[in-house]
Amino acid sequence: MKITRRNFLEGAAVLGFGAFVYDQGRRRRMETLQADEDPTRTEEIGELVSGEWRPTGCLGCTSWCAKEVYVVDGRAIKVHGHPDSKVHGSADCPRAHLAIQQVYDPDRIKQPMIRTNPNKGIDEDPMFEPISWDDAMDLFADKIMELRDNDETHKFGLFRGRYTNINGLLYGNLPKIIGSPNNISHSSICAEAEKFGPYYTQGYWNYRDYDVRNTKYMICWGVDPLNSNRQVSHYLNVFGELLENGVQIATVDPKHSSTAAKSHVWMPVKPGQDGALAVAMAHVILTEGLWSREFVGEFNDGGNHFVAGETIDEGDFNEVHTNGIIKWWNLELKDRTPEWAEEIAGVDAATIRKVATDFGNAAPEALVFMGGGSNMQIRGGYNSMAVHALNGLVGSAEHEGGTITGRSAKLGSFTDPAEFMDEIAQRNSGKQKIDQRGYKNLPALKDGKSGGGVVTNRVADAILAEDPYLPKVMIGYFCNFNYSCPEGERWNRAMEKIEFFAHCVTHYSEMSHFADLLLPSTHHMFEQMSSAAQKGNGYTHLWIGERLIDPVFDAKNPESELPWMLAEKLEEKGFSNLMDYLKTFSDPETGAEPTDGMELETNCFKILTEPIWNPVKYEETENQGTKYNSWDEFLDAGIWNSDAYEFRKLWSNMPTATGKFEFYSETLKNALQEHADKHETDIDDILATCNYDVTGERAFVPHYEEPFMLGEESAYPFTFVDAKARLAREGRSSNCSWFQDFKDVDPGDIKWGDSIKMNPEDADRLGLEDGDMVKITSPSGEATATLKTWIALRPGTVQKNFGQGHWAMGHVAAEDYEGRKARGSNNNDLLGAEYERLSGSTAFYGSFRVNIERA
Amino acid sequence: MAKYAMVINQERCMGCAACSIACKNENNVGDGKFWSHYIMETTGSFPDIRQNYISTLCNHCENPPCEAACPTTPKSMYQKADGIVMHDEEVCIGCRACENACPYGVIYYNEEEPFQRYREGEGAEVTERVGGEHFPYYNPDRAATYAGVRRANKVEKCTFCDHRVYNGEDPYCVVACPAVARTFGDLDDPDSEVSRLLAENDHFVLKPEEGTNPKVYYIKKYDVKE
Repeated sequence: MKITRRNFLEGAAVLGFGAFVYDQGRRRRMETLQADEDPTRTEEIGELVSGEWRPTGCLGCTSWCAKEVYVVDGRAIKVHGHPDSKVHGSADCPRAHLAIQQVYDPDRIKQPMIRTNPNKGIDEDPMFEPISWDDAMDLFADKIMELRDNDETHKFGLFRGRYTNINGLLYGNLPKIIGSPNNISHSSICAEAEKFGPYYTQGYWNYRDYDVRNTKYMICWGVDPLNSNRQVSHYLNVFGELLENGVQIATVDPKHSSTAAKSHVWMPVKPGQDGALAVAMAHVILTEGLWSREFVGEFNDGGNHFVAGETIDEGDFNEVHTNGIIKWWNLELKDRTPEWAEEIAGVDAATIRKVATDFGNAAPEALVFMGGGSNMQIRGGYNSMAVHALNGLVGSAEHEGGTITGRSAKLGSFTDPAEFMDEIAQRNSGKQKIDQRGYKNLPALKDGKSGGGVVTNRVADAILAEDPYLPKVMIGYFCNFNYSCPEGERWNRAMEKIEFFAHCVTHYSEMSHFADLLLPSTHHMFEQMSSAAQKGNGYTHLWIGERLIDPVFDAKNPESELPWMLAEKLEEKGFSNLMDYLKTFSDPETGAEPTDGMELETNCFKILTEPIWNPVKYEETENQGTKYNSWDEFLDAGIWNSDAYEFRKLWSNMPTATGKFEFYSETLKNALQEHADKHETDIDDILATCNYDVTGERAFVPHYEEPFMLGEESAYPFTFVDAKARLAREGRSSNCSWFQDFKDVDPGDIKWGDSIKMNPEDADRLGLEDGDMVKITSPSGEATATLKTWIALRPGTVQKNFGQGHWAMGHVAAEDYEGRKARGSNNNDLLGAEYERLSGSTAFYGSFRVNIERA
Repeated sequence: MAKYAMVINQERCMGCAACSIACKNENNVGDGKFWSHYIMETTGSFPDIRQNYISTLCNHCENPPCEAACPTTPKSMYQKADGIVMHDEEVCIGCRACENACPYGVIYYNEEEPFQRYREGEGAEVTERVGGEHFPYYNPDRAATYAGVRRANKVEKCTFCDHRVYNGEDPYCVVACPAVARTFGDLDDPDSEVSRLLAENDHFVLKPEEGTNPKVYYIKKYDVKE
């Protein structure tokens, strides 16, 4: 008789059950221990299984943590941080665990599929049918050969999302050999505006590291390092220690973020007004005499002549490692008092003054940790400069306890593709890239060059306008721009126009819906060899992982196996250049050419990391860190650590036009001038074209710009605050049930749902209540979500996290997968496709207004 | 005999839920069930805000109401001499009396067999191909002392990872916490880290008025603002 709750409750017998068979440790050697005080109850305590922790790494966000995976009987079961990483040790951010659910997701693409419905559209069923890898690659190669036969190889294009260290082959060189300039990365929907400020002050176009263990004061500005950016594992680990050691922490964020809860001061800046706060803090630091004498310099008479409202003669100040402090003061800072900023930025003057003063007093062991929130705004470029410049002002740039650039592993390089590029390839790969970078209204001044950086989200418009031309044959991997770019609807229409699109990803997604070929990708963490480097904690680590489990499905590595298979097919069709090129990827140890895609995979990583594992190359390249004697030894350890960072080496040795930390940016002036010259105009015209309102000399100093908002306040009364869901793995984890079960770990959010948060005062005014379904409208789209009232938000703002709204990723992510109904909504349906144009960065913050009404 | 307890340092806790996700991973806990969870509260008024996050799990009470309420013989919910409140899934009849008696809401009842997604269709095919019983990332360690996966019409809850503890390991939430907020150990040992932390810090437990004498203690405060 089966005893159930029901018959128990009905008074049935409650004795004599327990005859069920359970899965008690079938595979283990058992031992019996008496561990219970009840002599009638004997308990068997099995031993834990003997699996193996094996090294790999996680590309679930830009933290790029080194991991170990617990493998039992060929299955990946658990993940933890690689204990040997000097960046984060064994600390493991919460979303790393979700990778386990990703790799075993029954909704993954299981074999190559071909579209049989030629009509593309959001409402079209692609009618995918299985196809062999051989036939799939044959078809793909035919399409490329057609381009070559018609001398239009530039109409080939490759989209890259996330990637491993060897992406230089597929992303960097393969398009060139085919004959195309079009390798389009995701970088500008990631953080380019964040790099703009550090570049145009200190010549560094990259993320910074922060010497938090030696700092006394930290300002987390538009960044939530306990949540999403960056090196989350490290910051989760170190924050408690910082608090215990008395480090003072202030957080600047329009919402009360995870980091704000762990900060002594929360400065709830109005969205987009970061620049006002930054220049006011700079004003305080100068007027209070708290700038670094050692780094910036001093007045000839040793006094302090920074008096509000008064200009200063440049000759009165003797500058040391910086450029243009007096120009900055005269052009911008002299009138930027905390009282001026109070109303604009929404932070009271006393708090601005106190934070600036405490920061200045703690300096140079004081740092501003800047994230994208303060600058991935339509007018965010100068915010990026202003926020970062605070580090220069107090001499913490490159200083102990300050913001640092980090040291990289010196790696090997792949064969130069030039000699494998035939005449067609050379000619066509020099054509304009399809993202319109370098156009007059898109300077994208990466590394100081007009059109130096990618403008990812512009590609959709470029395709729709066929300007500069319409690409015909494209492949994308580890990307889903239809979902991850603002105004994805443009991507839907754009991808409809692409004659042939192959998508190599682990999961079907919104972008896959427009594919002609679905090519299942291996999961980077478990199913392929993988490697990446990242900095944090004053070190750089480089991890490497072997294939830890057999691919769960018939998946291939897009960065190695796929180019190999394509090369084979192109060779069969009479174009052998790619195969000739790949055959140069010989095993550095044996000299043997690769004979298949798996050998190519290994050789790529082996070539790239040779300066790490080959002691001779290690010496030659002057790598400094862990030393290995062989490839096997390196692979077995799975991680290389640099030596500790060397401070102050860049002082007066910065890769800027002046070699100094530039408050007056000659570097930016040069870049803007080059761009203006290219378009036969002047800098003022370029800035106006790029939505900035500055003219003249102020354009070369960090300065306040009123935010450029999309949407009139009358029609769209709320400012929209986007943030990234804690467990989002860059938008790729919502088909994991753990993402949904723990969605409410984002304060104010709800499990298995999607909420938009609003201050209760505003909700009352609108007659809305917690739990109401609301319609959110913006000038560019609409979405629905559950309203949650949340006091940790400024009245007049609403906040929603990015991560839900997938209709195409699987049965967990979607509310109705077959019916293509998303669970919740995608923030990108509300954000207009606009840019911080000087960097090419897509705007996500401080630039958008919405309206809220009952759905 | 040991007296096991856990101390959670609220200042060190970063509210990331790594403990709770890792717990599901370790203990093969199905969707919608939370052996480890959290209570989040936002208080104050803009801009003077405090956020709180309290990790929750079975308190392994000294006076466990779940045990008292359990009607089976022997008890399905029962306290061991080392203080761990254990569940015997074989004896459990799924009456939910323990769940109703627990003042902390940390006992969960399986209305249906967990891991449904891997028991049918494409999910079942993946499990079959990969192995792992029940589902592909099934952790066999859990079955060392308890049902590897608890079945329909049974309750389940945190066991302080007894399968790990009896094998000389810390509970998995302790290991998986990136913030080093959790300490597990023996209260009967005055030199243990948990004893030291409780001796040196003001501490509190949840719902002391229930008289349950929880063995999960909290020290310091989550939001560090004055």
